[in-house]
Amino acid sequence: MKARKAVASFDSATGMLRALSRFLAGRDIPNLGQFPGAVEPALSALFGAVNRLPRRIREKAYAFSGWAEAIPHDRVGQVRSDELAAWVAGHYPRRRYPAVFVGSSNGAMVHLAAALGAPWLPQTLLLPVRRRGVRRDDVEGDLRAGLEPARALLRANPDLALHHMHDPNQDWLMIAGMTYFRTKWLRLPQAYRDFLRFSLAPGGTLVVVDCQLRWPVTRVDDRYVFQAGALGGATVEEYHHGGPRVAQFLACYGSPRQAWTPPPPDEECPEAEWGFEPALFDDLAALAADEGWQVRVLRFDTPERLSPVVADLYRSWYADRGLPTDRLLVECFLLLEPWWTLRTGSVPFWAVFNTETSHAALRAYLDSVDPYDEIRLMLFSHGTDSIGLAPIEAWQALVSRGRKIGRLVGVDPQEYPRDFASLVRAHRELAQVRTCYPLPRPLGLDEVDRLLAGHDGIPWHPSPA
Amino acid sequence: MTGRRAHRSAEDVERVDLEVGSYRLAAWRKGQGEPAAVCVHGAGVSSREWLPLVAELGCARQVWTVDLPGFGASRGLSRTIGLPALTDALVDWLAAARLTRACLIGGSFGCQVAVDAAVRYPDRVSHLVLVGPTVDPAGRTFSRQAVRWLRNARWESPRMALLNIADYRDAGLRRVAAAFREALVDRVEDKLPYVAVPTLVVRGDRDQLVPQAWAEEVTRLLPRGRLAVVPGAGHMVPFRSPSRVARVIDDFLAGRAR
Repeated sequence: MKARKAVASFDSATGMLRALSRFLAGRDIPNLGQFPGAVEPALSALFGAVNRLPRRIREKAYAFSGWAEAIPHDRVGQVRSDELAAWVAGHYPRRRYPAVFVGSSNGAMVHLAAALGAPWLPQTLLLPVRRRGVRRDDVEGDLRAGLEPARALLRANPDLALHHMHDPNQDWLMIAGMTYFRTKWLRLPQAYRDFLRFSLAPGGTLVVVDCQLRWPVTRVDDRYVFQAGALGGATVEEYHHGGPRVAQFLACYGSPRQAWTPPPPDEECPEAEWGFEPALFDDLAALAADEGWQVRVLRFDTPERLSPVVADLYRSWYADRGLPTDRLLVECFLLLEPWWTLRTGSVPFWAVFNTETSHAALRAYLDSVDPYDEIRLMLFSHGTDSIGLAPIEAWQALVSRGRKIGRLVGVDPQEYPRDFASLVRAHRELAQVRTCYPLPRPLGLDEVDRLLAGHDGIPWHPSPA
Repeated sequence: MTGRRAHRSAEDVERVDLEVGSYRLAAWRKGQGEPAAVCVHGAGVSSREWLPLVAELGCARQVWTVDLPGFGASRGLSRTIGLPALTDALVDWLAAARLTRACLIGGSFGCQVAVDAAVRYPDRVSHLVLVGPTVDPAGRTFSRQAVRWLRNARWESPRMALLNIADYRDAGLRRVAAAFREALVDRVEDKLPYVAVPTLVVRGDRDQLVPQAWAEEVTRLLPRGRLAVVPGAGHMVPFRSPSRVARVIDDFLAGRAR
């Protein structure tokens, strides 16, 4: 099975891979990088028309889009790890890079890599698998339905661990007809080795991106765990034991249940989407030792921890270049624009998702820094009134802290969080911002060291501590 | 102060005609208090389009709208005059109306007059409000403006078209054409960095004459600028959404954040 058909195109890892690889090729990301820029006006109009459809139809269209790109149940065993790795590495322009990142997905890390002119190889990919006959609120049912394809996948790929994930809160629409298989490489695949040997300059630096976020899981097999819920608006406690917010959410979506009943967890593992599985580190360290590369570990406890650090780095970098430091671009989930970030002289702040937690992180950042004149926010719409969703008014209040301009980019506040046109319009509107700057030369590692120096709790270690 | 007074509407909007040099300028007023706000109309049109906003805004403060020489109900001009002369007339009118410092609220081309006034007569202007500021340098030709104007038309109230026709009839085609020419010749972007007073930029989010990027550029060039976007409105926001515009102006003048 072709890797590009197996991997979800609408996922954080894939979105970040597209954003960074296109940036390194000198390109921006119209239409989330999935369609040519020329069709952007047409797609904007099409999605705008979808926005005007009744809510039920819109939700079904969103769920269908997920189902349509999922792998048929009986073809999961045909997926091959090396082909996945080759597909990832094939995104990047073939040339020498001073550094290569490997590991966790993270939007702030994408901007750090962009500043260094470095590619990133994800450890985790999402393979969506079609599923029938299981209700969305039936967490155990999803586990049972996934057992057979999961075992087929693992039999064929001994270097992969499978984190079978079911988030009946934020993925409520998507899980209508599909199961989330997140695979993590335990060993360095050959295509990654080849890419590193070809692309990493002699004496270059291998940066291991180590997000230490963990989540309670149920172990099914040696390389197979099941994760109920995910990082976002609801707590672990709510996923496993319910609560008033869960009961209200389920009632709102017509479920007869009061709470979800996932299988009891028996251990903690790296979180399915963001967490780094440390087994991969041995191969990376050994290869770096063989090739004479330096190794650095970019380590942080939660994905958003890196966002203010990278934002500060960009602000200092702009100041060093004599550029204004008064523009902030807040990105959300897979809505990333490293090319336009630098082109518009914007400081990037990446929000993991559209939740109250991310809202609080942005608010804390704004409280801690000199005010910005311009604040733009690209807000991801996932179609669900999920638990912990920050309301649009709360986001508007934060962007209005821009002293001159505060704006939701491409967002229709009336339709959020079912504003699917914003997925196209965010780029479209961002590309119209005037007063742009030439793209800078990449930063050197020594400059990154200097810019990160003095940051309390710098998540940037020269060796694997 | 000389001239006749007459109630224009049931909302206590009062007409006041003043002699300013060789001109007799017509204006309408509502409300009390300082600083007064003065609305300045766009190219070829008049105070007619501002009366809904005056009625709203006048509930909380003293608000005026004035017909510049050659437009609307003003009299005493036999030829066409350029933007600097329009600004001079406006400032003379402020003195005649005994408004020592005023908040100027420009609409479209009226923004260019208001900016000119703020730069050349800084001690006469306390605040600026620029509603749909023209002219976007990226569309500074007659043909591009005409295309944008046509695209914008669907977002305007049909009732405004009748007012525009009456305005063009009052001004005469020669003056209307001259005003559009002045709007295209004036490079407002060169003046914006010299506006020292707090300035609110207001844009209807459907405005085709003033793209978002240009509204942002205007705000950026203003040392003390701030942008407010009014949803669902085209270029003439004060006519389409007077209460919303009044609210953002009230917040701005009261120093409240959006």
